[in-house]
Amino acid sequence: AGLPVRPDRRRVLLPLSPAGLWSVVAMSYPADDYESEAAYDPYAYPGDYDMHTGDPKQDLAYERQYEQQTYQVIPEVIKNFIQYFHKTVSDLIDQKVYELQASRVSSDVIDQKVYEIQDIYENSWTKLTERFFKNTPWPEAEAIAPQVGNDAVFLILYKELYYRHIYAKVSGGPSLEQRFESYYNYCNLFNYILSKSHFCPGVVLGHPTPEPDSSVGKKEVLWCTVLGWEIMKGALAPLRQANFCLRPDFLVISTDADGPAPLELPNQWLWDIIDEFIYQFQSFSQYRCKTAKKSEEEIDFLRSNPKIWNVHSVLNVLHSLVDKSNINRQLEVYTSGGDPESVAGEYGRHSLYKMLGYFSLVGLLRLHSLLGDYYQAIKVLENIELNKKDAIRVFANILLYIQRTKSMFQRTTYKYEMINKQNEQMHALLAIALTMYPMRIDESIHLQLREKYGDKMLRMQKGDPQVYEELFSYACPKFLSPVVPNYDNVHPNYHKEPFLQQLKVFSDEVQQQAQLSTIRSFLKLYTTMPVAKLAGFLDLTEQEFRIQLLVFKHKMKNLVWTSGISALDGEFQSASEVDFYIDKDMIHIADTKVARRYGDFFIRQIHKFEELNRTLKKMGQRP
Amino acid sequence: MAMFEQMRANVGKLLKGIDRYNPENLATLERYVETQAKENAYDLEANLAVLKLYQFNPAFFQTTVTAQILLKALTNLPHTDFTLCKCMIDQAHQEERPIRQILYLGDLLETCHFQAFWQALDENMDLLEGITGFEDSVRKFICHVVGITYQHIDRWLLAEMLGDLTDNQLKVWMSKYGWSADESGQIFICSQEESIKPKNIVEKIDFDSVSSIMASSQ
Repeated sequence: AGLPVRPDRRRVLLPLSPAGLWSVVAMSYPADDYESEAAYDPYAYPGDYDMHTGDPKQDLAYERQYEQQTYQVIPEVIKNFIQYFHKTVSDLIDQKVYELQASRVSSDVIDQKVYEIQDIYENSWTKLTERFFKNTPWPEAEAIAPQVGNDAVFLILYKELYYRHIYAKVSGGPSLEQRFESYYNYCNLFNYILSKSHFCPGVVLGHPTPEPDSSVGKKEVLWCTVLGWEIMKGALAPLRQANFCLRPDFLVISTDADGPAPLELPNQWLWDIIDEFIYQFQSFSQYRCKTAKKSEEEIDFLRSNPKIWNVHSVLNVLHSLVDKSNINRQLEVYTSGGDPESVAGEYGRHSLYKMLGYFSLVGLLRLHSLLGDYYQAIKVLENIELNKKDAIRVFANILLYIQRTKSMFQRTTYKYEMINKQNEQMHALLAIALTMYPMRIDESIHLQLREKYGDKMLRMQKGDPQVYEELFSYACPKFLSPVVPNYDNVHPNYHKEPFLQQLKVFSDEVQQQAQLSTIRSFLKLYTTMPVAKLAGFLDLTEQEFRIQLLVFKHKMKNLVWTSGISALDGEFQSASEVDFYIDKDMIHIADTKVARRYGDFFIRQIHKFEELNRTLKKMGQRP
Repeated sequence: MAMFEQMRANVGKLLKGIDRYNPENLATLERYVETQAKENAYDLEANLAVLKLYQFNPAFFQTTVTAQILLKALTNLPHTDFTLCKCMIDQAHQEERPIRQILYLGDLLETCHFQAFWQALDENMDLLEGITGFEDSVRKFICHVVGITYQHIDRWLLAEMLGDLTDNQLKVWMSKYGWSADESGQIFICSQEESIKPKNIVEKIDFDSVSSIMASSQ
């Protein structure tokens, strides 16, 4: 009874202690060797096989020593939690393997397990973090590994949370080593999910001479990363001697197995994985530019490992997830009313791949924006049914939504803070946009905006470039350079350069439109007038004024999406309330006056009031 | 146009997926830029891909190619291609010749200082080497702006804005856009007053939205 033996031929994932490298050499085997596969089950507890040096005494001693140092210190509650967490994940994987064999995509059992994991992820983990690890890290993976039977997949997932927590809450943030290890953990995770097509089959390992002290010879370990084009080499020994402990935790040996990974995770977690992956990339890109406060060791380490968190890896992961899931085809078919399942393919039918593919599209949008490539950013989202409106309407909609749902937020504090911050940033951007391109928006948002940024908007209208820059700096993405710095020659403000570059392009645009606000306000005052006269009012020569009028027309006509798939296509339309034309030497101005919607406002208030009345009456009826 | 068409399909393939970041494709893409310049064709996406590869691989940066890309972007005004390109060229390179000159020309065009533009271009004609049809593309843009602004414009002003055109040259452009000249030295563009009129948008309250209120009022 129970679950059948899992002939999982996909992949062998082995957690490796430093001594464990040795035994892996013996474990690399050709694809069709079913017998050895049956003997080795990556998802079982390690009862059947020994993962250490081969010398049982040495290994046992090592284990005991390590356990004593770390495991005992972990609170009982946490131990139990981890056990439960592991069991749930393990059960899910077991069930998924079963479903995969029967070619089923999902089942009630799987849904139930995912739901349980979601509860662990969103509630238990958060609560326990609050209680036990508010500003300190969770136990290291190595410390809990024996407790969960060295379950490779679980440990990868655990470490994803472990490092994310360090980034978010531990004071001082992650160390260089932790950044490194987190990167490799993500590599392992995505390798696991993306399967063999990005690997070089048959990874070869160098074997270490298993000596307990640090004077080991130079070791070379060949890594397969998701990069696909390259293999990474890392020299371990010098680092260990320098007190950097870089342990390769997982080595992947690919077999000929194929098929989707037997895993499902709650969507929130999947989103957070992509989000955090990009965030850690962003964080590292900026971190490595700031060499002033780093030790020689650290700089040497950075210099000899240029591939860590490199932009190509990140791009490759995101693109691979998009490709694997056929998400673009799925979305295309979906929006034209068809069934996405028909084009999803072997992987994309599964929720894990579909959602990761979808979230990766958004991830690419973010990545391209960070690098200043706005065209690609929008292009990537071609198939997502965005409301392809202009920025002002998008911001107004989002701010309205947040305003109305604010009361519903009782989530984890860090998410609340983040939403608040973005709320503020959106207000700043909306302020800029509205100053440059006045338009009608929702009254309540407009009110909020005037409260927060009233005088700043006034100064921007007068053409004050400083305010524009200030707001832009506050609200813009943390622009990055994808290039490894020259560590020998990094000047103090190097990390700011990408931002300054984008700021300059923005400031140039502001400069080009500097006079338009004033001209607009004058235009609103008149209907017909000689050009020369109006020029005089504005203290401009007629020639210069005519030029400014051309600029006004040019800048007010923007590409507006009208139809079609791509958000990049469209017609030129002007949504300016004030318009004009020049006839010989006269200017004819047309203003659009929109009457205030008093009626609508009152109707809404009346309804609200009646609702209130009804509620009060009901309350009054209770004794 | 022959070479451009031939290359277009091939380049399209190179830009799919992760391949667009492969620096080995740079040579082909650079040739493609040159082809666009020679044959008066244009492909924004391919050109942005070149700039991106330069961003990722600064050692491969080429000033001449970047200059060509920027000039081609100007030919597509009023589209914002020029701005998109600027976002992907780092500050240091923006200060180099001839990029700095081209950025200046771009600024003049964006701020509609057309007379000044032609003057500056005159002083830097070498920039246009290898680029066919640049001036005419700029004139198309100028005519676009004039077309949305003027109902009647002075003949001399239009000729000046288009780069001090002779009478005959001006006639060619006028016929392209269907603009006619009248006796008083004015050129008639179009009847703007049809489309540009003061509007008064009044709120309309329909019966349905009020009916529920009326029903529940006592």
